[in-house]
Amino acid sequence: MGLKKGKPTPETDIPGERHQARDLDGLLQALHADEPMARRWAARDLAAHPEATADLVKQLRREPENSVRQVILSSLTNIGNEAAIQGLIDCLYLEDAMLRNAAIDVLKELPDQVAPFMGRLLQDPDPDVRIFAVDVLESLRHPRVEEWLIEVISQDAHVNVCATAVDLLGEVGSDQAKTALLSLKQRFADEPYIQFAADLALKRIEADGA
Amino acid sequence: MPNQPQISDEDFQKFREFFYRKTGMLFEDSKRYFVDKRLLDRMAATNNETFRGYFTMLRFQASGAELQALINLMTVNETYFFREEYQFRCLVDSMLAELVTRRPLNKPIRIWSVPSSSGEEPYGIAMYLLEHWPLLRQWDVEIISSDIDTSILKLAKQGLYGERAVQHVPEPLLKKYFMRVGTQYQVRQTLREAVEFTQVNVSDSADMRSHRHFDVIFCRNLLIYFDDLSRKKTAESFYDALNPGGFICLGHSEAMSRISSLFQIRRFPEAIVYQKPLEAR
Amino acid sequence: MKRILVIDDAATVRLYHREILEKAGYQVAEAINGLEALEKIEEAPFDLYLVDINMPKLDGYGFLRALRQREMPQAPAIMISTESSDSDRQAALVAGANLYILKPTRPEHLLPYVQSLLGEWQRT
Repeated sequence: MGLKKGKPTPETDIPGERHQARDLDGLLQALHADEPMARRWAARDLAAHPEATADLVKQLRREPENSVRQVILSSLTNIGNEAAIQGLIDCLYLEDAMLRNAAIDVLKELPDQVAPFMGRLLQDPDPDVRIFAVDVLESLRHPRVEEWLIEVISQDAHVNVCATAVDLLGEVGSDQAKTALLSLKQRFADEPYIQFAADLALKRIEADGA
Repeated sequence: MPNQPQISDEDFQKFREFFYRKTGMLFEDSKRYFVDKRLLDRMAATNNETFRGYFTMLRFQASGAELQALINLMTVNETYFFREEYQFRCLVDSMLAELVTRRPLNKPIRIWSVPSSSGEEPYGIAMYLLEHWPLLRQWDVEIISSDIDTSILKLAKQGLYGERAVQHVPEPLLKKYFMRVGTQYQVRQTLREAVEFTQVNVSDSADMRSHRHFDVIFCRNLLIYFDDLSRKKTAESFYDALNPGGFICLGHSEAMSRISSLFQIRRFPEAIVYQKPLEAR
Repeated sequence: MKRILVIDDAATVRLYHREILEKAGYQVAEAINGLEALEKIEEAPFDLYLVDINMPKLDGYGFLRALRQREMPQAPAIMISTESSDSDRQAALVAGANLYILKPTRPEHLLPYVQSLLGEWQRT
């Protein structure tokens, strides 16, 4: 007994019970296997197959096992094509809060691919979707971020959408946001949170200029 | 001096929030001098005369290279034997103690140390087990250590170290497990043979498939350098590399709470580690 | 001094609640999402939790469910949300919230709730 030299896992040891081929057809079959471990490995390897996007999106919405969902989400993020983004955006309208938040989480990691959808999302009739869109701006490396945020705090009627935007302006705001921040304070004069957040952003912008 | 760049209170706050969100590392006010100094260093290195200019670059740079450089400075990463020793104590006194309660004697316990770097960690674990885990007489333990970099793997297999790397190794252990080779110390052959070194890219699904059935994974100070998606994917691969109930140890400035919700938090007297649920399938 | 954990992914919201609660004499700690909150309570439990619903990695529901399963001294939790539907309120209460209030909060609404939840807790 004692320390023994370990060995890597042999190729004959296959995760999950079924020995499916690792080509597209085999992986798509394994994506519906009974064993969560087999589904996870299939979802992981499908990241290399953009043509599997629709199947991954479909499985995501009915997958009961959180660990498999997470891997599907990662693979969709990796694929990152328009169908994958659309599939993830569709999750924002679901009742299932866990899936909704998980989708927001990964969309934040795809700022460039989400950017083309941004205009529409910021105008969505559902304020929660607009809040999410502002959340995604947080990670967006895009020259228009500040401009979008200024538009939101100048135009959006919903206090919580503005609250989320002003929070982010505290980090990325510059001189050009000042006027909009001041008028936001007037528009929501009786909301202590908006006063607090706008003042904080203004203070930080002032300190920047100094 | 005119135009000497400064970090204002507001700048510090803003930076602190951003860095915390990105890495999970939170700087107290008492660390202000430490943080300011490093920020000013990076501002100078990147030719930014104002904090605003630097912060915009840090935040919006597509490659994330500046954030990495800054993380490097803030974490002061050094490899030496018995670095963050409390986790080895946790391994012996808590994790292994729990693992053996549900493990038949004929099934070896498997430990994975990744990245191996130049080998200080896997050899350190081996020494620690030999010295502090009496049950090693009853159980087999396999240590595998991996790195993406073949040249560093070669160094690790050689096991040759300078004075600095072994400064925290107590004298008796230095005598017992090392040989002097000129000005350097070489890990004795018996110990070198106890560790298997392999090349692994943790982002590669095929590489990960050949590294499974582990009971404990040490992955310290690697994920912090990855972007969010790579971190999440690696954590998901580790999930499948672990046996149910297996543990994962991250570096002290890394937080699983920024990475993945798949693991359970376990607080042991020595450290907080993460566990794959026992009932996981 | 009573200890309150403020759990929200928005830094400004955490700061806002910190100031309100500290002024009222509470000791405040922060967490950026449900997972970090679970790490924090492993160090020491709190007297009250102020929990946002929508957060990355582990949301408010997930945090509360995990908290309520722990074998540890339990404490009241206030769920804060931007959503005003009955189903959200119901889900928050089922997950283990004692109270559900809407964002943005106001000090004059929030503080009486905090005080009464802490007071009730002491009596039982």
